[in-house]
Amino acid sequence: MNTNQVVKSSQDVAIGVHGLTKSYGKVHALRGINLEVKRGEIFGFLGPNGAGKTTTIRCMLDMIRPDGGKSLLLGLDPQKEPVAVQVRSGYLPGEMQFFDNLTVERQLRFFRDMRGSRIDWSYVRQLTERLDLDMKPQIKNLSKGNKQKVGIIQALMHRPELLILDEPTSGLDPLMQQEVLGLLRQANAAGATVFFSSHIMSEVENLAGRVAIIRAGEIVEVAGTESLTRRALNRLTVRFKTPVEPADLGKLPGVEILSRTDGSSVTLQVQGDMEMLVQALGCLPVLDLETERPGLEEIFLTYYKK
Amino acid sequence: MKRLWTTFRYTFINLRGQILGWGLGLGLYGLMIVPMYETFAGQREQFQQMIASYPPEFLAFFGATVNSMLTPAGFLGMYAFSMLPVIIGIFAVLAGSGLIVSDEERGRLDLIMAHPVGRSAFFFGRFLALLAACLAIMLLAWLGFCLLLSGSSLGVNAGQMAVPFLSLLAQTLVYAMLALMLSMFLPARSLAAVVSGAVMLFSYLITSLAFMDERMATLAKLMPYHYFQTTLSIQELNLGWLFALLGISTFMVLVAWLRFFRRDIRLNGEGSWRLSFLSKRKRIA
Repeated sequence: MNTNQVVKSSQDVAIGVHGLTKSYGKVHALRGINLEVKRGEIFGFLGPNGAGKTTTIRCMLDMIRPDGGKSLLLGLDPQKEPVAVQVRSGYLPGEMQFFDNLTVERQLRFFRDMRGSRIDWSYVRQLTERLDLDMKPQIKNLSKGNKQKVGIIQALMHRPELLILDEPTSGLDPLMQQEVLGLLRQANAAGATVFFSSHIMSEVENLAGRVAIIRAGEIVEVAGTESLTRRALNRLTVRFKTPVEPADLGKLPGVEILSRTDGSSVTLQVQGDMEMLVQALGCLPVLDLETERPGLEEIFLTYYKK
Repeated sequence: MKRLWTTFRYTFINLRGQILGWGLGLGLYGLMIVPMYETFAGQREQFQQMIASYPPEFLAFFGATVNSMLTPAGFLGMYAFSMLPVIIGIFAVLAGSGLIVSDEERGRLDLIMAHPVGRSAFFFGRFLALLAACLAIMLLAWLGFCLLLSGSSLGVNAGQMAVPFLSLLAQTLVYAMLALMLSMFLPARSLAAVVSGAVMLFSYLITSLAFMDERMATLAKLMPYHYFQTTLSIQELNLGWLFALLGISTFMVLVAWLRFFRRDIRLNGEGSWRLSFLSKRKRIA
């Protein structure tokens, strides 16, 4: 198939990746990644360590050259027009190192100069204040979390159209994680597309509208965060006023009995529609019932157990 | 152009410590060596006897004879310039091998290249900064050799003194660019520095030994040091040799640039730390 035909540079697509492959010797890091991220969306890229998240991102940004496939960012080919892509995007690497002897301010001014564009320095100050980052200390004296803040600020300082962030909240305390997620929502509200990788499920669930799950260099699922959680198995615990024989419940389609206690309670796993189950329960002396909604984490784990 | 300039400016500023260290060091050496000639000339007979007592192989190693040693050019050649390519070569090898790869090995290059610089502008910005650093070191060293020239009986003016520094610059660039080129291919900066340092020392030894043993003359002609024109260039600079060395340096810069332009930017732990030509790549259809 001609990749040019598949990868669209439509104005609606911020990131278009098709058939991306990358090998290191005998290790196949990427096995044909396909992704499409629409402009203006927040897209989560989920996977455990070593699944290929960083390699995908670095291929997209022309840091490494793929063996096959193609990607377009904001309608531009990063291999042919890397500078044009980088002008309009902000990138936060997963592993960051700075010039240790520079102060935070000089490091940020270095990034501003490298951008070569007019960056509103008052906006940089706003970001440092919001993230509670002192500009005076030398980088070498910063904690991991504070270094992460420097990385986040350099990615946001030019108000990019596209943000590509590799584990943006790594090393931050929970309060600061919320602040960073707030900044990303704000950037998104201002029109930026946010693509971020993470292995923290709650973060992706809170922030992303859509999610891709990568496993061993392959995308195993791309779906809306809500639909993904909705599609998953529900867990239901029913307690009865008087002991009943719940074996018939297990015969209903999509229903599996996980455990039972002397006929006084039963825990069921339900996939899909619950209508028939609710009807069946209506004929039984139900005291109460408790449903447990699975998180993205559980769904994520099901992909990794496969 | 602005992108190249920004990279140049920051790299040159980063190199300022090395420029001052090496430039002032060589300059101070010049300040010490030039007045020494007066002592040398004042005690000519004693020195002549001392030099005559040296084993001929020792003098030959430095390409000198008893008579040539007593001339100003021979004196400067023996005591100053013969060793300078090796001394400044240490800077060349370290600066060249680390020009790009030191940031890569420290994990900084990813973040730098995420900015709108472009690989070519970044590469040439850094290369020009190294070139400017080499020029600045030569300038400081030359100033050190010139400051006391007017009161000296060496009979060499500042313009003439600049000529061997031109040849020294060409030598420095050869080793710096060799180290830069190797750093683009080899899996680690230290390996590139060691290999280019070994080439430099081997070149020096073979060229020097060729003065003693003619059988090595052919091999010596393949060595960069053979084309170093010490103080003999004060009388007549061989422009062919000079431009040949500059041409070889330019070639190595272009090879390094092509390699940098095409290869992956490495992150610690990635497969590209291996020698790529030794590992068979399995491509996915």
